Amino acid sequence: MAISWYLVVSALIFCIGAGGVLTRRNPLVILLCLELMLNAANLALVAFSRMHGNLDGQIFALTVMVVAACEVAVGLGLIVAIFRRRMPIDVDGIKELQG
Amino acid sequence: MTSALVTAAVRTPHIDVAGLSPLIALAVGGMLALLVGIFLGRSARNVTPLISLLAIAASIGLSIWQFGEGKSVVADALAIDDLTLTLNFVLCATGIAAILLSWRSRAASVAGHPEYYALMMLSLLGMLVLVGSQNLVTLFIGFELLSIPLYVLCAAEFRKEGSLESGLKYLIVGSVGSATLLYGLALIYGATGSTDFAGIDRALAGGINGDVLLLSGIGLTLVGLAFKASVAPFHQWTPDVYEGAPTPVTAFMAVATKVAAFGVLLRLFDTALVNAQLDWAPIVAALAAITIVVGNVGALSQVSLKRMLAYSGVAQAGYLLCGLVVGTQLGVKATVFYLAVYCAMNVAAFAVVIARERASEYGDELPAFAGLGRSNPLMAWPMTIALLGLAGIPATAGFIGKFYLIDALVDGGYAWLGIVLVVGSMISLGYYLRVIAAMWMGERSGDVTPVRTAAPAPAGGSAGTPPVMAGGSQEADAELARSSKLEPEVVGVAWIATAVVLFFGIIPSPLFELAGKAGSVFTGIF
Repeated sequence: MAISWYLVVSALIFCIGAGGVLTRRNPLVILLCLELMLNAANLALVAFSRMHGNLDGQIFALTVMVVAACEVAVGLGLIVAIFRRRMPIDVDGIKELQG
Repeated sequence: MTSALVTAAVRTPHIDVAGLSPLIALAVGGMLALLVGIFLGRSARNVTPLISLLAIAASIGLSIWQFGEGKSVVADALAIDDLTLTLNFVLCATGIAAILLSWRSRAASVAGHPEYYALMMLSLLGMLVLVGSQNLVTLFIGFELLSIPLYVLCAAEFRKEGSLESGLKYLIVGSVGSATLLYGLALIYGATGSTDFAGIDRALAGGINGDVLLLSGIGLTLVGLAFKASVAPFHQWTPDVYEGAPTPVTAFMAVATKVAAFGVLLRLFDTALVNAQLDWAPIVAALAAITIVVGNVGALSQVSLKRMLAYSGVAQAGYLLCGLVVGTQLGVKATVFYLAVYCAMNVAAFAVVIARERASEYGDELPAFAGLGRSNPLMAWPMTIALLGLAGIPATAGFIGKFYLIDALVDGGYAWLGIVLVVGSMISLGYYLRVIAAMWMGERSGDVTPVRTAAPAPAGGSAGTPPVMAGGSQEADAELARSSKLEPEVVGVAWIATAVVLFFGIIPSPLFELAGKAGSVFTGIF
């Protein structure tokens, strides 16, 4: 199977993730969409690794998984802290700071 | 390692401990602060910052020891060369300033002293990894090691809604940035078949021939790093996050993150992607021009000093991009020089903002600075000099820095961007001078009622101060009494940073020599 199919799927997942971050309001769903974006990159990395016949991309993908887990841990921690403060779990509702 | 391991058949990788020592010092300092914090009760508030300061000092010392060696460590993934070490000096100096400014802050005590300082150290370590990275994997790890502690630090004052909000906003925007960066790195890897900067450079030696994969990779990488460096149009998070985060964290974020982001931009674009310079330079130039205009115009209408400094930071990111655009050693030198002076100027300004925030009812808003020149010249002078420096007035290092940047631009054939830079600086005077005018000419009188109710004035609170300074009302007296109790470390940080700005404004040659050494590590450009 040609590499281009993997890339198309990966680009599609990335776009779904990016679209979700932009349109969704629940921070939990936003975190999910961020995971989608990172995993789209992982898919591309593994596909490229296979294409080039070296392992760099796979090692990169493994590293990314670890980092993504850390990021989600911090994100969930923040959401819990916000929930305990009884702030709205809705990014449109959190607007003490005006942009 | 002359142990039994060597004689056995197992081949151990060569670990250059000496080269890694500036990083190890920071990592050990962070761990130690956390561990020691477990055993200390209340004394952690003084001991953990001290441990952090010692670790940073050790890192600076080890950097001086390693200076000029020009090593590649960890299988060429990390360059411990003069650029890394020069930027490490700047990073460590801002780290020391941030720790001193955090010493008596509410953020550190709310978050827990050991955790707060450990996170700051780990973020600093991430920045050092990022500026030294010579491999796409290391780049990404450094980027995230820098960011994740900062997300937590932004939310450190977790009883305040603004702080939590700023943490969550930074997390979401920062993660979008890092996901974009990662996708870009994946595409660059796909186009070149290597994660190593040298390997990418070799793969691109024959020209890029309009390779779509590579061009989209470069574009996405640039966007990802632009998020972190708050380059317009990816800067919208900056004012909100800067305003909501605890001010010492804002100061750290504003200066150190920018150093790290520009360090890696320089290394990635001037070594790995230098053969594609003709393709990325126009885009970077356009980004720089937009950033300068957006940042300076956005700052004009701000009342909160933290927001104003955030927009000013956006504009300064635009100036810094100018050194990247040209892709010459002169540009690298000018950027490194400007990064160092930018840090000094912003540290001085933020130190004064922190002092006023702790003393005044108005927090970090402009009225808190009104009449500061008469009531508290010790704090007004650093602010004045820092803001004049940021605007680029002669006799400050900011002027020399801008001068070198424009020199690099003209030399590299981007004179029009130099004109944008000058126009941007002219606009910037509009908001910098407003603060200076408020400080030296503004009335600090009792007729301005504070937003919140002032604490009752202590009996004879203004006894020790000359009666001329007292505004007349009780509130002004109370404020005066509090503001006269200046924390020595905040004053010290403000004045040392100011001294640096003035010193390098008058005698720039030592810093330019250092920046010159840093710039000459890139042998692929001229």
